[in-house]
Amino acid sequence: MRRQFKDTVTALAAEDPNVVVILGDISHYLFAGFQERFPKRFFNMGICENALISITAGLSAQGFHPFVHTIAPFITERSFEQIKLDMCYNEFGGNVVSCGASFDYAWDGATHHAYTDLAILRMLPGMEVVQPGSRKEVDTLLRSQYRNGKPTYFKLSDHPHNLDIEVEFGKGVVVKEGSGGVTVVTAGPLLANVIEGCKDLPVNLLYFPTIKPMDTELVGRFRGTRLLVIHDGFGLREAVNEVPGLTTFYHGIPDQFCVWYGTVHDIRRELGLDPAGIRHAVGALLAHR
Amino acid sequence: MNALCRQIRKDILVASRTSGHGHIPTSFSIVEMLYATYACMKHDPGNPAWDKRDIFILSKGHGALGFYCVLARLGYFPVEDTRAFGAYLSKYGCHPDRRKVAGVEASTGSLGHGIGLAVGMALAFNLAGSSRRVFTLIGDGEANEGSTWEAVMVAANLRLANLTILIDFNNSQVRSLPIANPAERLAAFGCRVREADGHDVDALKAAISAPADTVRAVVARTVKGYGCRTLEQNIFEWHRKSPDAAQLEQLLGELEAQSVNA
Repeated sequence: MRRQFKDTVTALAAEDPNVVVILGDISHYLFAGFQERFPKRFFNMGICENALISITAGLSAQGFHPFVHTIAPFITERSFEQIKLDMCYNEFGGNVVSCGASFDYAWDGATHHAYTDLAILRMLPGMEVVQPGSRKEVDTLLRSQYRNGKPTYFKLSDHPHNLDIEVEFGKGVVVKEGSGGVTVVTAGPLLANVIEGCKDLPVNLLYFPTIKPMDTELVGRFRGTRLLVIHDGFGLREAVNEVPGLTTFYHGIPDQFCVWYGTVHDIRRELGLDPAGIRHAVGALLAHR
Repeated sequence: MNALCRQIRKDILVASRTSGHGHIPTSFSIVEMLYATYACMKHDPGNPAWDKRDIFILSKGHGALGFYCVLARLGYFPVEDTRAFGAYLSKYGCHPDRRKVAGVEASTGSLGHGIGLAVGMALAFNLAGSSRRVFTLIGDGEANEGSTWEAVMVAANLRLANLTILIDFNNSQVRSLPIANPAERLAAFGCRVREADGHDVDALKAAISAPADTVRAVVARTVKGYGCRTLEQNIFEWHRKSPDAAQLEQLLGELEAQSVNA
């Protein structure tokens, strides 16, 4: 997804002189071509996430369309107040694009895990919160939102799914419809595991590349079913529950730090977010009527 | 004391008395800094959105009352409006809101934010090939915030010669974390630093206008509550206090006793 981010932003910069890239000393090799083509609009600004957000907001205030990019927990959790005040309260906007989604950096431990970002940013008035699941979705959602003057968060993973799904900002997708009275809800790259885990199970499956604004109309259509949110983060469950009168369940992050290392696949297996674990959770809900 | 700056201090006292809200000493310490800065800026009170204007951001947003009274005397809005300071539905909150008050370029209040916004705007003007300048005023208490120094580092690394950082060095942090040598620190971070008497308008103008090939920093030596002995000697008691009728008369009298120049 990062490569797609670079490709899309490079293409946008070629046609839009107001596109600016700010890196927090990450992905600088990836953006070498961008730097070569647009040296005046490329800044590897330093490891100073609070300032990066404020500076991005300042650029946006004066008509530029900046993309600020670094590792998810540092640009969102550390800089939450800068996003809240400088981007949202001031209505200056800016594009915040992270890498290291959820457990992409499993081996680095809990300091580098990022699963609160969607939840905390969706609480901010005016904020748009996006979790693309594939390269194609990255391209679509970046292009549609980058120059609307609003603060937009894009959560990117190095482990995209490879499903070809047409997405639109603010809209959910019905991946499949079943008859078992259970609706599975997910977002982001985890969709691949969810599809495999739900294979041949009689459930509805909804997919939400946009966490905020949530497609409440689509959620509401499934109000009569039991909804099981399966997600490797917080935020989707809370967004789904904007719709009144739902019966929801959650299968995802426990109330404890994930203290294991390994790979994203190891952590997902530990949390029951691998296809087998997902199948077990969905099967349990189907069996419990 | 500059005659208009004395009048602005009177405006601050009256607005504080009328509204019941304070922050008088910190507002008093920046009156000349604000007045001198606007004297050096391109701006048009009749057209606050003029697209060639320079930008000023009060990063230490708790100096809002002083800021409002300076903007009022510059012609942005009637000074009487400021007497609704902090009132429900008033435009004039105890920290400035850019969406409500003419001439306010950024909503500030949480310390260490405005300076980063200023760096971003200065960078934007450089990218656009514009001659517009950006000024931001920070407090020495605000200089406790790490984000302040992040912004200074980036600005200096980018050599933003269109950015001027004004430091209200009023020793407000004497009881917690003093910044004893702001000029040395800012120079070490890569700024071109000038020091000035923060209550001498001409000295401030000279420092603000001095040529520089990178970020300018003006360390203004100021006194909290400057102009009223009662405030100067009781800065912590008066931090957020509003005067009663008798105190207002006393403070106005202390101001009136100050000799003024044009």
